[in-house]
Amino acid sequence: MRALDIKLFRDLWHVRGQVIAIACVLGAGIATYVMSAATLDSLLTTQASLYRQYRFPEFFVGLKRAPASVRDRVAALPGVQVVEDRVIAPANIELPSYAMPVSGSIISLPEHAGALNLLHVHAGRLPEPGRDNEAVVSDGFAKAHKLIPDFPLNITINGKKKVFRIVGVVSTPEVIYQLAPGSIVPDFKSYCILWMQREPLEAAYNMTGAFNELVGTLTPGTQVEDVAAAIDAILRPYGGQGVFGRETQISHRYLSEEFKQLGVMATVFPVIFLSVAAFLLNVVVGRLMATQRGQIAILKAFGYSTASVVWHFLKFTAVIAALGLALGIAGGHWLGSGMAQLYKDVYRFPYLEFSLRPGVLLVSALVSIVAAGVGTVVSVMRSAAESPAVAMQPAPPGTYNISLMERLGARWFAQPTRMILRNIERRPMKSLMSIGGVAMSTGILVLGGFWGDAVDYMVFAQLRRAQLEDISVTFVGPVSNRALYSLASLPGVSYVEPTRSVAARLRFEQNSYRTAITGIEPEGRLRRLLNDKLQPVEVPPEGILLTDHLGKMLGVKPGDTLTVELLEGSRAVRQVPVAALVSEYIGVAGYMHRDSLNRVLREGDSLSGAFLQADMSYAPEIYRRLKAMPAVAGTGARAQALESFYETIAKQMLTFAFFNVILASTIAIGVVYNTVRIALSERSRELASLRVLGYTRGEVAYILLGELAVLVFLAIPAGLLFGRWLAGVMAQMSQTELFRVPVVVDPSTYALAALVVAVSTVVSAAAVGRKVSHLDLVEVLKARE
Amino acid sequence: MAGGTSTLESVVAEAVFSARGVTKVYDMGEVQVHALRGVDLELFAGEMMVLLGPSGSGKSTILNILGGLDRASGGTVLYRGLDITKARDKELTQYRRRHVGFVFQFYNLIPSLTALENVAAVTEIADNPMKPAEALEMVGLGDRMHHFPSQLSGGQQQRVAIARAIAKRPSVLLCDEPTGALDSETGVIVLEAIDRVNKELRAATAVITHNADIAGMADRVVHMSNGHVTTVEQNEKRRSPKDLHW
Repeated sequence: MRALDIKLFRDLWHVRGQVIAIACVLGAGIATYVMSAATLDSLLTTQASLYRQYRFPEFFVGLKRAPASVRDRVAALPGVQVVEDRVIAPANIELPSYAMPVSGSIISLPEHAGALNLLHVHAGRLPEPGRDNEAVVSDGFAKAHKLIPDFPLNITINGKKKVFRIVGVVSTPEVIYQLAPGSIVPDFKSYCILWMQREPLEAAYNMTGAFNELVGTLTPGTQVEDVAAAIDAILRPYGGQGVFGRETQISHRYLSEEFKQLGVMATVFPVIFLSVAAFLLNVVVGRLMATQRGQIAILKAFGYSTASVVWHFLKFTAVIAALGLALGIAGGHWLGSGMAQLYKDVYRFPYLEFSLRPGVLLVSALVSIVAAGVGTVVSVMRSAAESPAVAMQPAPPGTYNISLMERLGARWFAQPTRMILRNIERRPMKSLMSIGGVAMSTGILVLGGFWGDAVDYMVFAQLRRAQLEDISVTFVGPVSNRALYSLASLPGVSYVEPTRSVAARLRFEQNSYRTAITGIEPEGRLRRLLNDKLQPVEVPPEGILLTDHLGKMLGVKPGDTLTVELLEGSRAVRQVPVAALVSEYIGVAGYMHRDSLNRVLREGDSLSGAFLQADMSYAPEIYRRLKAMPAVAGTGARAQALESFYETIAKQMLTFAFFNVILASTIAIGVVYNTVRIALSERSRELASLRVLGYTRGEVAYILLGELAVLVFLAIPAGLLFGRWLAGVMAQMSQTELFRVPVVVDPSTYALAALVVAVSTVVSAAAVGRKVSHLDLVEVLKARE
Repeated sequence: MAGGTSTLESVVAEAVFSARGVTKVYDMGEVQVHALRGVDLELFAGEMMVLLGPSGSGKSTILNILGGLDRASGGTVLYRGLDITKARDKELTQYRRRHVGFVFQFYNLIPSLTALENVAAVTEIADNPMKPAEALEMVGLGDRMHHFPSQLSGGQQQRVAIARAIAKRPSVLLCDEPTGALDSETGVIVLEAIDRVNKELRAATAVITHNADIAGMADRVVHMSNGHVTTVEQNEKRRSPKDLHW
């Protein structure tokens, strides 16, 4: 090994603390990127693979009832590849271990070879042909209730109760997410999906020889829009509710919205983290190189060219960059596969295809090399530009001035404090860089914590300001307002509010969106519409109110007229003016005055559900009575919705944010440690002189750490503002149909970010303070460098 | 300091330092470097002592030990009867703070402080200091008090360093090659400053040099070689630095 390379490794060993800290900063940046990319890629790859393997349909259409022969007419349409008809029946399920009523859907099993929506069996087996009393249950439900096959279950179909044996637990891409009709958050506890042989289901649901849903795939190159009109024309006489594609299929929509959300986080976090890490690497390496001034001079005096000196120090930083890169890729791979596994559980994928694209590694390597290289070259060139004779001399005393604060009259400072102030002012760029570095790491800490606050605020707005009912009830269909009396007479129920919900397609110019319109009471106490300040919005007697995101998607503003196509009941098509936009963070929906909606539906005073205010100590009795009401299709509880929200949507966001908080902390600690460690090596001679003159360790440490304290003190507020700004950018970018992230940062998040930075400052200060004790006092009496 | 009531006390007070059999071994991995091999040395109050010797003779090592910057491997060093070889680190800091003034070869001024403030940096932590301006007047820098080190010549910087060393009214002034980085003319000005504070403050002064011409300004000249004190000469008359040339 050449002498210079030996020097390289010894030098690296000598500053190993800093080498590790810098590598950690870079590594954390790279890890964020690798982790995000790997997680997202793995999820998307797995999703695509599952869709292929389990033959997820490309179009879906529900209808009232059609004879089996109609299927062949659809199958014969050009562009249609495979069509499958099936029967879906609503059901009520009795689960003795669970107080609340459980509603569900029963789907007929795919029968022929090459069928769609294949089932993945997690446990047990599929029902055998001819066994009329066997069924399988969705794994989400099984998991939520910890059910293991096989066990009996009382299921009521079409008013007739029957005992089924649950022989298996299955999943399929169609129900990765399962949502009860009318619900905005997935519900695995009180909503269940079952599959059984078609024949007994047909018999139980009066569908013999008929079907009520059609799903299918298309020939390559065909879009759903190309065939929709033809299919709808065939099915309209049979109560067809309109063809829709995957993007409207509820599970796919939730999943893709979540992936979109994750995609934004997986882009924005790494971009910010990597930029911060690259910036810091640049600064830190630059300063580290500046401390090598004497060495650079000696090498040049030996006759090394500037280029070879630069090359030598580039190797120095290359080692650090390589270490950071290795840490980042290994850490990112580890965190990424761990997180993908976590998501696999969240989405209950039967397997996970881990994917890490070579391009991701390439970008990581490139960022590391550039960030480390630029700082090194600039700094080494500056030193190498000096003539060796000058550079080997002790550096002349730096040019200082009386500090601004002193000039403004603050002249009572003792000398150590003056040193601190003048040192900060003397090299404002360096001070600014230090402040910038610490501020950035504070900012990304805020960004990491912001997600928790946003989720809490969403829940607060939705479930504590807008939806105030204790229990919600959904009826099997529209019922008359007499139903309200029977609900009001339930024990513990103090107030009942009717609601009417109907599926509809909203059109404005070329935009259309399929959603539900909910008719609510104008003076509603339990369901309120709010503006962005969480103030209630009045429901006018006419017109429709849209959630602001839906308004944006359709491109409408108050005063515009929407075409509303009802998808059930009268199936009327009406022009309805948009009365106002309301603010809702979760889901998208339309609202109308219930009377006005009923007029459009040409129904009298009907309702499809109700909200109850109740003394929840009566809940078991209320649920028991509700279960006994044949008109009741399902019930929900606010507490349940809250729990469900945190378990599903919030979990995936918060998991991601949590990993990022850890990485942000790593960066913060690395930056602070380097800042103070480099300051020590830059000033060790000055500080050792003071020790010789009789300053105690504490007094000397004050000069060094006091400067750090001032910088950190300035950096923290700047960082909190930066974090708030980042949160705004991120929230803006991650608006989806599923939810809009409000820009809300709780004081505790600011406090935590500040605390992490403060604690890492104290820990770094303690580590460096120990080094102050070991300053070489004899060395200062000798020649410099 | 001038005379005690009993003979014994006056002898002890006279010898500010009394080093006996001082050894210093540096453990450099596989080799041991014997920097001091049993040095006996006194430094008396108000005395000007010059330590002469080639590089590696051990003169810096003994100065560092006297100044409380380094510890002897063996022997005793009594400072006014107190054995500083046994002092703890904290006590050594206090010892340097109260009693010792240092002048370095490369000045080691704090670049962010003016001349006056550099001196004040020491007077602020001393028990009975002179006024910083007064110390600067003594070294002839009354008109440069508000200049930063970057605005001073090498000789001026070294005189600030001397003012900084003496402002605490030290009982010992230790100077390691104070003129090593200076030309002869500037060196004389610096030595004059040292000579003056030695006489006016009666601080026991030790000056390390490898320049034999400087020995003329001393009361006593201690020659060192290879870790030993070889000879000690008593000058009959101290010469003024003005008369020194090299």
